[in-house]
Amino acid sequence: MRPVFGKLWLATGLLALLGGNALAHDRLSPFHFQSQGLLGSTDKAAAQRGFLVYETVCASCHTAKALHYRDLEALGLTPDQVAGIAAGVKTANGAPATLNDTFPAPKIPAGAFGGAVPPDLSDIAAQRPHGARYIDHLLTGYAPAPAGVTLLPSYYYNTAYPGGQLAMPPPLKADDVTYADGKSATVAQQAADVSEFLAWSADPNLDARHEVGLRAVLFLVFLTIIAIASKRRIWRETV
Amino acid sequence: MNTDVKPSWMASRMPCLGGWWAGLTTPSMAREAPYLAVLPWLITAGLVFLTASGLVLAVYYNPADAFASRQFIAREVNNGWLIEGFHATGTTLVFAAAYLLLLRGMLARSYRAPGELVWLLDIVAFALLLLVGWLGFALTGGAAGYWSVMNATNAAMLLPGALGALGTWFFGGPDGPGTLARLLVLHIALALVIFFILWLRHGAKKAATPLPAPALRVAFHPYYTAQYFVALVVSALIGCVLLFFYPHFGQSPLNNVPGGPLALATGAGVPWYLAPLAGLSALFHGTYGGILGLAAGLVLLLALPWLDRSGPGRRAGGLWRLLTWVLALDVLGLGWAACGAAGGLSGLLVVVFGAWYFLHFLVLTPIVTALEAQ
Amino acid sequence: MAETSDQAMGTGEHSRRDFLTILTASAGAIALGATVWPMIDALAPDAQSDASGQMIVNVAGVAENTGIAVQWAGLPIYIRRLTAKQIADNRNLVQSSLPDPARFKSRVKPGYDNFVVVVGLNTGISCALEGNTPGEPRGPYDGWLSPCDGSAYDPLGRVRRGPARKNLVIPRFTFLDAAQIQFL
Repeated sequence: MRPVFGKLWLATGLLALLGGNALAHDRLSPFHFQSQGLLGSTDKAAAQRGFLVYETVCASCHTAKALHYRDLEALGLTPDQVAGIAAGVKTANGAPATLNDTFPAPKIPAGAFGGAVPPDLSDIAAQRPHGARYIDHLLTGYAPAPAGVTLLPSYYYNTAYPGGQLAMPPPLKADDVTYADGKSATVAQQAADVSEFLAWSADPNLDARHEVGLRAVLFLVFLTIIAIASKRRIWRETV
Repeated sequence: MNTDVKPSWMASRMPCLGGWWAGLTTPSMAREAPYLAVLPWLITAGLVFLTASGLVLAVYYNPADAFASRQFIAREVNNGWLIEGFHATGTTLVFAAAYLLLLRGMLARSYRAPGELVWLLDIVAFALLLLVGWLGFALTGGAAGYWSVMNATNAAMLLPGALGALGTWFFGGPDGPGTLARLLVLHIALALVIFFILWLRHGAKKAATPLPAPALRVAFHPYYTAQYFVALVVSALIGCVLLFFYPHFGQSPLNNVPGGPLALATGAGVPWYLAPLAGLSALFHGTYGGILGLAAGLVLLLALPWLDRSGPGRRAGGLWRLLTWVLALDVLGLGWAACGAAGGLSGLLVVVFGAWYFLHFLVLTPIVTALEAQ
Repeated sequence: MAETSDQAMGTGEHSRRDFLTILTASAGAIALGATVWPMIDALAPDAQSDASGQMIVNVAGVAENTGIAVQWAGLPIYIRRLTAKQIADNRNLVQSSLPDPARFKSRVKPGYDNFVVVVGLNTGISCALEGNTPGEPRGPYDGWLSPCDGSAYDPLGRVRRGPARKNLVIPRFTFLDAAQIQFL
């Protein structure tokens, strides 16, 4: 039994070491997102603020086809609040949206953004390495092009984007939105909030996953111990 | 007790149950089998688990719109994310057990007479498992899966003669909307064939294992039920850590992007258990290179009982064991490099690790075993 | 189970099931149940069909003597607000005069007896009924008329003239308040 446990501890240690290294070497966003980490959970207040940013800014060009308005109840909004949000949105046929409608697709003129198609944002945090931190860094990463870099026409320089040349113009401006909780809507704050919202959108089951997972692991550790004890007891009788 | 009055209500009506139970409780097994001897049984249990979770997924899966239906499962179906996690993590555990089983067989040289048939059936089951795993990966409908299906279809149809006809039959012509529907059926059907192979293997293994003297035997129940239970619980614990805290373990994030001709895949993008194979198939160039690499890699495993030149009954020497461990690291490295993890060096590393694989089986194995036999 | 068969098969060994083994076996059974249950639960209706199955319809905008049609569970549902005259005419009909006797009370919800909610399919030859949109013929009983076999229904959805012999089906629904009904 001892060697088995020794190996398990070694493996756990190795995993922890790898995780720690990955964090230490990460030069992305200085923000720590509550959804990050082994036992992270969705920061519902931040995600609610992030939804406001998404609705006001991102939704004018991007889709999020996998999200229904009723899904927002998971962020702590009441059904009435969500129904209010949905009623303010027009679906494709012009009727106000209901709880069961998905987020509508915006109409953007063909050839906008030099022909680049804004990606669907439902899963963007799962599709890009480093998820929320990458999005946060992208949204705050616009900078003048350094010397020696020739920008393509209607492209923007962004330090977070691979290759540096991004078709999306800087989307966030300070005070684009007014937060109900009184937080100052700086660009950094909006970027962090919308990143947390998109992290939730890509992984809406995060809270349940970590909660159930912790319980399952603790129970199985207990079960491992008593199973080994039973096995030893039963085998003692063979002599 | 009333056992004399009523020998058994069930046994008199269903004698096979009585025989089955008697077989489990009669001393018929060697004592103190190592924990790793449980691997074939763990693989079977894992496949049962995968069948159960897979059936639930199949209820909601839609091959005509694979990616969207997976979104639906994860977001709308009750516990859908959990069932998907069961299936993905279960696959990881089954493959981990399968790779370990092969490594253990090589270290213990159990593929030699009279165990050749067991080894051959192991490799056949392993090849089927890889195929079923790849089919499952193809069914995800992500960008990596999409391109993998595309490449496989093209390669299979370019094969000459009967092989090409077989490939066309398997995929149903060029990759079209019906391909995933057919791959879904094959995914399920071939998974059931694995159970049959494992059953054959169980029989062959029993025949190849000498029984100890009657005094040294113990019954399966309760001794080995207790031991198997420990192994099962430890696997479940490892599985839970992966499922709940590393749900995308060994998968490419690329596969979270819906597949399509515009979503270009870079690198192999295959899950970890297919990565060594992807490495072997990247080793050879040309039209048939990919399939040649795959086939050669598996044929070498099948040929191992005859590549080993040592006589029967000899224990494996230190050099052979060292080489086998090196091969295990080599296969890990091959998979790691095939995923493009080494950046610009990946191409070179695939060649180095792949070449070592062939060197190990074709040159080192016959020489070292022949030397050790003297 | 195992214990009884142990005795039944007469292997004769004494039971080794002390506290520890019973604890382990029970904990194992709990773990198995916790694994299997989510899979069974996953086959229950998903959030999408829950949401569309428990559809909420706003009926505040339905004027007297008009109706709306909605789709629910794949069926056309007709919702009509009755006039005082229609209610009075149909409240005290002699039951035995009807092909499929049904009381007024059994066709409406208590407290909301001016709303009739029915599945708009003829119960004779299956086809959609006319009389729900303005301008369509409502038949001699001011209800609905089948264009396929001429069966006529009254405003409560009771069949009054054949060949159909059954009243219109009433779907499962409740009034959340005076303005909203929810299908179950």
